Amino acid sequence: MIAASRPYTLVAELTYRCPLRCVYCSNPVNFHRSRSELSTGEWRRVFSEAAELGVMQLHFSGGEPVLRDDLVELIQDARAHDLYTNLITGGTLLDEDKLRRLREAGLDHIQLSIQGAARESAETIAAVRSHRKKLEVARLIGKIGFPLTLNVVIHRLNIAEVPELIGIALELGANRLELANTQFYAWAAENRRALMPTREQYDRAEGIAREAIVKYRGTLEIAFVQNDYLSGEPKPCMGGWGRSYICINPTGEVMPCHAASVIPGLRFDSVRDGALEKIWRDSPAMNAFRGDDWMMEPCRTCARKEIDFGGCRCQAFMLAGNAAEADPICRLSPHNGIVESMRKNSGTDAPLIYRDAKTSRKLSKAIGSL
Amino acid sequence: MSTGDAWRPRLASRARLKFDPIAKQEMLLFPEAALALNETGAAIVRLCDGARSIDEIVEQLSRKFRSADRDALMREVVDFIATIRARGLLQ
Repeated sequence: MIAASRPYTLVAELTYRCPLRCVYCSNPVNFHRSRSELSTGEWRRVFSEAAELGVMQLHFSGGEPVLRDDLVELIQDARAHDLYTNLITGGTLLDEDKLRRLREAGLDHIQLSIQGAARESAETIAAVRSHRKKLEVARLIGKIGFPLTLNVVIHRLNIAEVPELIGIALELGANRLELANTQFYAWAAENRRALMPTREQYDRAEGIAREAIVKYRGTLEIAFVQNDYLSGEPKPCMGGWGRSYICINPTGEVMPCHAASVIPGLRFDSVRDGALEKIWRDSPAMNAFRGDDWMMEPCRTCARKEIDFGGCRCQAFMLAGNAAEADPICRLSPHNGIVESMRKNSGTDAPLIYRDAKTSRKLSKAIGSL
Repeated sequence: MSTGDAWRPRLASRARLKFDPIAKQEMLLFPEAALALNETGAAIVRLCDGARSIDEIVEQLSRKFRSADRDALMREVVDFIATIRARGLLQ
């Protein structure tokens, strides 16, 4: 077993409940099975143990974390442990009064998602009337004095709006704009055909983003998160599996990343059954791909194995059928050909599958019967 | 990058210094990542308060560290400030 280092980042998925139905949602497709959320007291114990373990940053995520009635209390508690606190929200449930209470609780930063630059395309993705409300909340966030990161998941249906999105971020006075190309897991994987941009669309958007990054340096920080199907660059899986990052899902399962439940056979321990320190160090899921003993060729002898860690384990499972293989995104993977054929197998004719409990039940049954 | 009098760097509001009790060093935290700072780096960040020019920051530091080589210190400050500015951590 590889000795565990210390984690820096904790993502607390407070709930899978969400008023939006985004087609690219990163929550597990079978999220409807998660019923009993951790209580306020359980989360507070987790934050205390996390701070002790070395966690510096805490991201409140979901679902929509604002749905939790105890959010203010949880932020206060995290700040009492001197954790850096970030709220990742869709924003539709926020108003000036709630934002002021979050500010008073000590929240350091807000990351607000919007689904597009134009109301119509944005609401095609979220399936809920939300775009105007989000822009209103973004303005309130600035008015109250929170630093704001605007996050937009980019895909075939909004990729042409990149110039307008940059314009919106400038107009709102955001500190940072994340143009986050869709990562194809969970609901986004179900919708891959509809969401995958064309090569031309992608190259054009990337060119515009790269120019804007330089142009607005010092005013607006812009991040262009790559689509690895198109960039051809394997993602450095969480900076190393079980190395610096913990995700805890709404029911308390401790995971190396929020997507890891897609890998069959991984056993996740719950904070309900033990101390976070012990789970971080000893749990089978946390140790499954720690270090490099698990690596196969070509990763095992690759000069880049400490740079990209063989790419994403979840994607290796999804595309190559084995989570210990090289991520097929890598051109050295024997399965690399599948990436290009999947990328090409896309188009505007593909129907959109919206994230909601009913569809979750339907898709879970389909998965269960395989 | 200009080192003239005009710009008075201020730490971006989304960034915060925090002491890491495990590694026993200062960390500059911001939402998407964190930077481990050495003693000089942490001292520079504390002086990026929007009230001091880079010359004044160097002046303060040379007193704090009793540094004789002001040019070397200036280079260190300019390099460090350029690095964190490029990450959008200064305004």
